[in-house]
Amino acid sequence: MSAGAFELLKEKSGFREFRLLSNGMRVLLFPNRVAPVATFAVVYHVGSRNEAVGHTGSTHLLEHLMFKGTPEFDRAKGTAVAAVLEAIGARFNATTWFDRTNYYETIPSDALETALSIESSRMRRALLRDEDRVPEMTVVRNEFERGENSPFQVLYKQTFATAFREHPYHHPTIGWRSDIEGVATSRLKEFYDTFYHPNNATAMLIGDFEELDALAAIERHFGAIPSSPRPIPQVYTVEPAQEGERRFTVRRAGQVAWCGLSWRTVEARHADTPALAVLGNILGGGITARLHQALVEKSLALSVTVVPWQLRDPALFSVFAPVRPGVEPSQIEAVVRQEIARVAAESVTEAECERARTQLEAEVVFDRDSTDQIAASLSEAIAVADWEWYADYPAAIHRVTPADVQRVVLEYLHDDALTVGLYLPKPAGSEGAGDGGEEPS
Amino acid sequence: MSAGAPRRAPFAEAVRGRTLANGARLFVLENRFNPTLALSGSMRAGRLYAPPDRRLIASLTAGELMKGTARRTKLQLAEDLEGRAASLSFSSDASDPVGVDIGGSALSRDADLLFDALVEVLCLPVFPAEELDKEKKRLVGAIRQQQEQTSIRAYEAAMRRIYPAGHPLYRHKGQERIAKVEALDRADLEAFYRERYGASSLALVVVGDVDAERVLDRLEAALESWTAGPSPTFAAPMVPAPVPSSETVEVADKASADVVLALPADLTRTDPDFLACSLANSALGQSSLTSRLGVRVRDTEGLTYGIHSGFSATHVAGPFTISVTVKPEMRDAALASTLDEVRSFVAGGMTEKELAEEKSSRIGRFKVDLGSNAGIAAALDAAIYYGFGVSYLDEFPAKVAAVTREHADAAFARRVRPDAFTVVSAGTFGAAK
Repeated sequence: MSAGAFELLKEKSGFREFRLLSNGMRVLLFPNRVAPVATFAVVYHVGSRNEAVGHTGSTHLLEHLMFKGTPEFDRAKGTAVAAVLEAIGARFNATTWFDRTNYYETIPSDALETALSIESSRMRRALLRDEDRVPEMTVVRNEFERGENSPFQVLYKQTFATAFREHPYHHPTIGWRSDIEGVATSRLKEFYDTFYHPNNATAMLIGDFEELDALAAIERHFGAIPSSPRPIPQVYTVEPAQEGERRFTVRRAGQVAWCGLSWRTVEARHADTPALAVLGNILGGGITARLHQALVEKSLALSVTVVPWQLRDPALFSVFAPVRPGVEPSQIEAVVRQEIARVAAESVTEAECERARTQLEAEVVFDRDSTDQIAASLSEAIAVADWEWYADYPAAIHRVTPADVQRVVLEYLHDDALTVGLYLPKPAGSEGAGDGGEEPS
Repeated sequence: MSAGAPRRAPFAEAVRGRTLANGARLFVLENRFNPTLALSGSMRAGRLYAPPDRRLIASLTAGELMKGTARRTKLQLAEDLEGRAASLSFSSDASDPVGVDIGGSALSRDADLLFDALVEVLCLPVFPAEELDKEKKRLVGAIRQQQEQTSIRAYEAAMRRIYPAGHPLYRHKGQERIAKVEALDRADLEAFYRERYGASSLALVVVGDVDAERVLDRLEAALESWTAGPSPTFAAPMVPAPVPSSETVEVADKASADVVLALPADLTRTDPDFLACSLANSALGQSSLTSRLGVRVRDTEGLTYGIHSGFSATHVAGPFTISVTVKPEMRDAALASTLDEVRSFVAGGMTEKELAEEKSSRIGRFKVDLGSNAGIAAALDAAIYYGFGVSYLDEFPAKVAAVTREHADAAFARRVRPDAFTVVSAGTFGAAK
């Protein structure tokens, strides 16, 4: 490596952040020698947040096409990306979410070169052929359809579509069906050429490696890729404050209703994020949690999931529960509202707060058991804030007090910021309980 | 580029083991890199040992262990474990008719807390009636929820068709299961626990930042007085001859349908053909992206997001299944392509290149899977559960490398006959049915 290829920007908690001087790519290193294994990941700062009507789902469809071929890795030559990674035993995939797209591979550490050459190849040299998009579109459409089979997914997608009207969190990462079907290959190429550049990416290497060797290899593979010819476009749409409760209902055939309550909250970087995370744990983190006790232990709901969404822009605090058959969904809504009101009026106990802090802080310790788990958590942090946010998260959680938890409930979890969603099974008739609709063909 | 991670001593040397007088087997591997530990274990108290008309007693007994002991209520146990970010679970389901899975994790400072809870729950459960009532209500709702899932509906209908009633892999219809749940009471669970639970089939593996001798001493002291329990032996259930059939299960309002192709396969995890069959299956259909089925049905034809095949081989010979999700209108095309690929695979076998890639993949993935405490614990637990011993982890790469193409092709073709599949589709087909 030429000595001046990288600039060390910062180090903290075992992480070292570099900048590749030739093109601005950020590189994050975290040695963790639990085993002769490493995870290499590239996070692109582009997600469904960067899409608009007509090309919703493009980020995700593009992610699929990134497996289809580059001049070096091409199925026609017997060097398909997945086949090459499979042959070394890699655990690999790519995922797309609101704020990011990530590509990762966990590999035996002596196979790092393979991972680097694939990721550098597809950073700027993806072929993006129309003949690949056509069959892949129907693959993605089936992925969309599988999601539509799930009441939970339908409920959460509709929740975001209702709570966000202007901001692109309105549309789901998988996209709207007609956009998935209709988007042209040229539009995907344009998207690729706008966002897939080293200066819009963070590469990370976690696990078993020598720093100097690793940096030299990263420079060899990525150093010659130029930075973007134009500045990366930024999202400037801001969702205005919600000024009143919103409600929606979805009715489909089925047997079990779902109820969801979601309040508009803050962006991940906001100082109140740790208190909302602690609140989420107190309400939904395990058997001892308040909503588990009030809903599941009282046989009103089959389970309860609490999600303090942490995204780049202001997001939601959600409670979702499948309703036990025979129970009115309105009962679930009433109990959730009561429990929120109870926190607003009486706060939470120090013991509850302590349990939540312990669990959230421990999650970060457990992350370090495996390189891919650190990479996954770090990818999310980089997407919504930055790696320091992840490094500082345990300390931020540690400072949360019961008064903070009560304050964030009063500040954000009020009716004007609430979206209530119900997924209701259509009345029986077309389908009986159990296996009534079954017949041999 | 690597060479940083210290070379591990062979597992056979590094793992400390102890067998107690009552038969319990304990294994500990020190791995000091992170202040955590993973627990994995097994017992033989699965559905195979339950009365044929009430198999679910086994899963409920395992699930209810954590609902209270002679010393602590469910809530007290949860407070003690959750308060320290520790977890402990017991489960048993139809995917392994013989075993009960034990899993746990903790920060290493809380190791004793986890071990004490583990032993207390195993040895002193009380199965409180009010907890079982709650669980029955939840389970009835969960079964109804499952009836909305096309994947579960297709798989269960296929198991009903290929296995006879009474076989541990036979699956009752949802309504029948609900009736069986409602008829259970705590005496059923207590009786099954008394009959089936005991130290003789218990194996526990602990991996992480612990002192091995100390852990062995503590677990031995806590478990040595536990009853040995019954012999874990069992009569292997018969493997029925395949009788091909087809069925469409109509599930309303579903955008995606599931198709399951299934046949009873004469393959257990301990069969000398297992690795050969498993490598052949990897080439055929383990990966939606790279296996033959994935390359044809997903990558080339765009008919599905996911297509997988596999043997369900435990101590009991389970089914060989291929599952594929499709837009309902594309079912017939996907099915035709799938069967076409299976026929050509069985007729022609793997190529040498495919076998070499699958071997390299399997050996590499084995290394990757041993990259965490939980991964090592799971691998050790499986090696012990199937009677291979700790050294299996050291020998595994050589065993994979030794498989020949002739062996893999013949072993696979003997078990997977393309004309023997039962095909079940579940989804919204309407007039297309």
